[in-house]
Amino acid sequence: MSDAKAVADRLAKAKRLNALLTPLKDLRKSLAAQSAAARPTGVLYGMPVVAKDNICTLEFTTSCGSRILEGYRSPYDATAIAKLKAAGALIAGKTNCDEFAMGSSTEHSAYGRVLHPLDKARVPGGSSGGSAALVAAGAVPAALGSETGGSVRQPASFCGVVGIKPTYGRVSRYGLVAFGSSLDQIGVFGRSVHDAARVLSVISGRDPRDATCEDRDPLRLPTVPESLQGFVVGLPREYFPPELDPAVRRACERAIRLMKEQGAAVREVSLPHTAYAVPTYYVIAPAEASSNLARFDGVRYGPRFNGSADVRALYRSTRGQGFGPEVRRRILVGTYVLSSGYYDAYYRRAQQMRALIAQDFRNVFDRGVDLLFTPTTPTPAFKAGEKLGDPISMYLSDIFTVTANLAGLPAMSIPIGRVKGLPIGGQFIGQAFLEDEMLEAAYALERVVPAEDEAS
Amino acid sequence: MSVSRDDVLRIAQLAELDVDDEALPELAEQMSRIIDYVAQLSAVPANGGPRVFVPGPDAIRFRPDDVNPAPLASGPAEFAPAFKEGFFVVPKLGQFE
Repeated sequence: MSDAKAVADRLAKAKRLNALLTPLKDLRKSLAAQSAAARPTGVLYGMPVVAKDNICTLEFTTSCGSRILEGYRSPYDATAIAKLKAAGALIAGKTNCDEFAMGSSTEHSAYGRVLHPLDKARVPGGSSGGSAALVAAGAVPAALGSETGGSVRQPASFCGVVGIKPTYGRVSRYGLVAFGSSLDQIGVFGRSVHDAARVLSVISGRDPRDATCEDRDPLRLPTVPESLQGFVVGLPREYFPPELDPAVRRACERAIRLMKEQGAAVREVSLPHTAYAVPTYYVIAPAEASSNLARFDGVRYGPRFNGSADVRALYRSTRGQGFGPEVRRRILVGTYVLSSGYYDAYYRRAQQMRALIAQDFRNVFDRGVDLLFTPTTPTPAFKAGEKLGDPISMYLSDIFTVTANLAGLPAMSIPIGRVKGLPIGGQFIGQAFLEDEMLEAAYALERVVPAEDEAS
Repeated sequence: MSVSRDDVLRIAQLAELDVDDEALPELAEQMSRIIDYVAQLSAVPANGGPRVFVPGPDAIRFRPDDVNPAPLASGPAEFAPAFKEGFFVVPKLGQFE
């Protein structure tokens, strides 16, 4: 049980990161009240958990990192938040993120960029950069983020923490502000595999309020395996291209060696449509976003921006001024690919490509591979501003993560080493609803990998 | 460029989004690059390609059609920009073409 004041003090110490959007005064007041009300029998009793600002909470505002929802107070808790509270956890504030979760660096927030906890000139990754940074800084043991194309795993990798994206349908999306509905999942960050897994287990399971949430019991936590005997780990060759950062390659090779030493069988495999994953994603995600974000119009929620000569002018000025540049760009791209004459050329083809990408994974798993191991990102954390002017280069930092979202598979990143002090993440991609196997492998690797040492 | 300034304006109208004149050239340029980039998807045959894929449950589960409202801690008066006597207040409708 953490004392409410100690929780707030630890978060106050991380203030320089700009990772927390909740004012400290509000946080202290709420934590004291939550702490008094928390169920002492809950499995997460007293555990402080921060939540990305696109997850609705009764306690604090939910702005999605956007001006268009500035000051918005949700009238309900997301199911994941309600489950955390029922387990006795303390919701320790809302974290800064790329606006509406669109970005890979947390530079696209209306409330300023988040700093990398180890190097303020660098980005923490994104879009759940605030959650990753606070866990990495030791301010909280675990955090909620959300994933559409890698927004938990990529910042987890950059910040040196554990990040899990569950199978699509494992965790309810009720109360997660929608971006790409066929891709979105709430994910978790933890300082260790166990911290992240405990939180995931609590928030998982059926929810009548989300038709895409599967009718399954919550995830049962596996025990830490003695060895990796019997595990067949696939290494997809498309994820180890010649241009891969040499330090990232070295760290992955060391992790693979350590898994072999623990008894895992390692096999090279191929996922031939990998090269099409990013273009597929950048058709499907903006298309779904342009539809989902139509609801923000200055009528129902948040502030209203001027230009109210008639209702259309009101929509246009509110959306034009309320959304930041990256969100505007994606709404426009999404509207374009869905517009008459382009739908078949882009959207339908992207959905077909998505089927081929999902089939690639099924082919590999059908041939006896239990799970895949890859780098999480092609490079360690990049410098702030480095990719801002070039959307495609920013999009390519998700090249190893988007495939799991497209195929709906569980995947996670764990720290496997450092280069010049910057963390490197290794990724496991598992089979649908076999998070337990993926977690076992992660437990086993975490136990032996020198995550804080330079990769050599 | 595959996306012209006029295309951006037309799309922005469809999306009900004001776009500044000064921002137009850069937006057209960036959208062109994105659209050209995703055009590699034309590698998928247009006809007879695979079926589309959407993750999630194979079939929609039905539940009893009961009125079961989610309890809300506050009503729209609390979070809407303008709300009066049970209605959202908006300016006059104007012309929709």
